[in-house]
Amino acid sequence: MIEMRDVSVIYSGGVDALHHVNLKINDGDFAFVVGPSGAGKSTMIKLILKEIDPSSGSIYVNGYNLNKLRRRRVPALRRTIGFVFQDFRLIPSMTVYENIAFVLRVVDAPPKYIKKRVPYVIKLVGLSDKEKNYPNELSGGEMQRVAIARALVNDPQLIIADEPTGNIDPELSYEIMELLQSINEIGTTILMVTHEHSLVRHFGGRIININQGEIVFDEIVGGNLINES
Amino acid sequence: MRASGVRYLLGQGVENIWKNKMMAFASFCVLLISLLLVGLSVLVSINISSMIGGVENKNEVIVYLQEGTTDMEVSELYGELIRIDNVAEAKFYSKEEAFEDLKGNMSDYEMVFESLGEDNPLIDAYRIKVKDISTIEDTLAQINMMQHVEKIRAPMDFVNTLMEFRHIITIICGVIILALIIISLVIIANTTKASVFARRAEIQIMKYVGATNLFIRIPFFVEGMLTGLFAGIVALVVTWLSYDALVNLLTQGTNVMAIFGMTSIVKFGDVALPVILAYLVAGTFFGALGTVFSTRKHLNV
Repeated sequence: MIEMRDVSVIYSGGVDALHHVNLKINDGDFAFVVGPSGAGKSTMIKLILKEIDPSSGSIYVNGYNLNKLRRRRVPALRRTIGFVFQDFRLIPSMTVYENIAFVLRVVDAPPKYIKKRVPYVIKLVGLSDKEKNYPNELSGGEMQRVAIARALVNDPQLIIADEPTGNIDPELSYEIMELLQSINEIGTTILMVTHEHSLVRHFGGRIININQGEIVFDEIVGGNLINES
Repeated sequence: MRASGVRYLLGQGVENIWKNKMMAFASFCVLLISLLLVGLSVLVSINISSMIGGVENKNEVIVYLQEGTTDMEVSELYGELIRIDNVAEAKFYSKEEAFEDLKGNMSDYEMVFESLGEDNPLIDAYRIKVKDISTIEDTLAQINMMQHVEKIRAPMDFVNTLMEFRHIITIICGVIILALIIISLVIIANTTKASVFARRAEIQIMKYVGATNLFIRIPFFVEGMLTGLFAGIVALVVTWLSYDALVNLLTQGTNVMAIFGMTSIVKFGDVALPVILAYLVAGTFFGALGTVFSTRKHLNV
C-alpha cells in the first residue's frame, strides 16, 4: 500500500516538482501513472523508493513511515518493492539466472530456496531456455521479462514499473502488460508509469494523471470501454 | 549472514577480478609500480644508512692511559670500557705496538728513531669503536671520568660532518619516500575510482533491489584486497630478483662498490622479512582501502 498525504517536493534549484499531492494506492491495485515529461512522475517514484525525501507531507509505503525511516533501513523497505526500469538495468556481467538470484542473495535466502525459486520465476516469464544467457544475448522484450522476473522473485507486495514498455517493440508491449496483469491477479500491487496512452486505453484500470506536479485525474476506467469510445 | 552468503560474496570478489580484467589489470599495474617505487627507494635509503654506518664503523677513539698504569689496572679499565653500552669494541694498543707502527709509517725518518734508541716516548692506549656516533659525546664524557685515563682523542670533526650528512640524507630520503607514497595513493585512489565508476550502474541496481552497503562493498573489497595482494607478491619477486642481481653486479669481480669504499651493501636476505611483510600488507591494505573510498560515493542512491 502506498499513501501520500499532502506531499510537496521542491528541488534545490527551486523547481516545484510535486505540489500538495494526496494519493492512496491499495493492496492489489493496478494503477497507471500518466502525464507529460516533467510532470512529476519520476519524483513520485523516487519518493516511494526513498531516494529523495519530500519537502513537506508524509509518505507510507508497505507499512513503512518513510518520514521516519532511517537510511540504513532503506534496504528493508526496498526489499518489499519490485522495480522494473525502462532500460531494464540488468547487471551485464551476470547471467539471467544470476541477475534474478541476486535479489534473493541480498536477503540472505537459503541456497535451496534460491535453487527452487529462481527457475520457477524464469519459467513464469517464459525464459527457461535462456537461464544461462547474458543480458547482451537477449532481445529487448526478453530483457524486460528478466527484469520482471527479478522484480517478482522476492514475492514483493508492490511492483513499480517505470515505462516498462518504453524500450521494446509495440507488439511485445502487450505481452509485457499481460505478464504484469497476471502478476497483479495473484495479489501484487502494481504501479506502472507510462507514456503510452494506447496501452492504457487498451487495458484500462486506475489511471492517475499528473500534470505540473499535481494529480489532475484519478479514476478507474474500463479498458475496452475507452477503446471503443 | 549464512555461510553460503559469505561464500557467495567472497566468490563474487574473485569472479569480479576476472570479469573486469582490464580494470583489475590497471589497478594491479598501478599498485605494482607504486609498491616498486616506494620499496626500491626504501631499499636505497636503507643502503645509504648502511653505508654511512660502514663509514661510522671506521671511527676510532683513542684513550691514552696514564704513565705507570699497572697491568692489573689496564685490564680493569678494559672491563669498565666494555661495560659502556655504546662501546662496540676496545683493543689494547701498547706503546711498543704504537712505536713499531710509527716506525713503519715513518720509515724515511729512520735517523730520528735511531737517535731515540730504546727510549719509547709513546704511551699505552685503548682503541675504541663506538656503536652509535651520535651519542659519542656522552661516551667520551663517561670515559673521561675513569681512572688512569690520560686523555682521549676522538675524530670530532669527522663525527660532526658525518652526523650532518646523515641528517640531510635522512631528510632527503624521507621526503622522497613520502612524496612517492602520496603520489601512489592519489593514483591508486583514481584508478579504483575509475574501476568503480565503470560499475556504478551495477551498484545502483544492487541498491534498488535492497542490497545493504556492506553487501555491495564486500566483493569490491575482496577484489581490491586480492589485486593488491597479487601486486604485492609480484612487486616482491621483482624487487628481490633485481636487487640481488644488482648486488651481484656491484660486488663481483672488481667490486665496484669497494672501489668507492662502500663495502656494506645490505643483502636482500637481511631485510627480506620486513620487506615481504611490508609489500604484502601495503598491497592488500591499499588495494582494499581504495575500494572503500571509491564505492562510498555511488552507494548514496
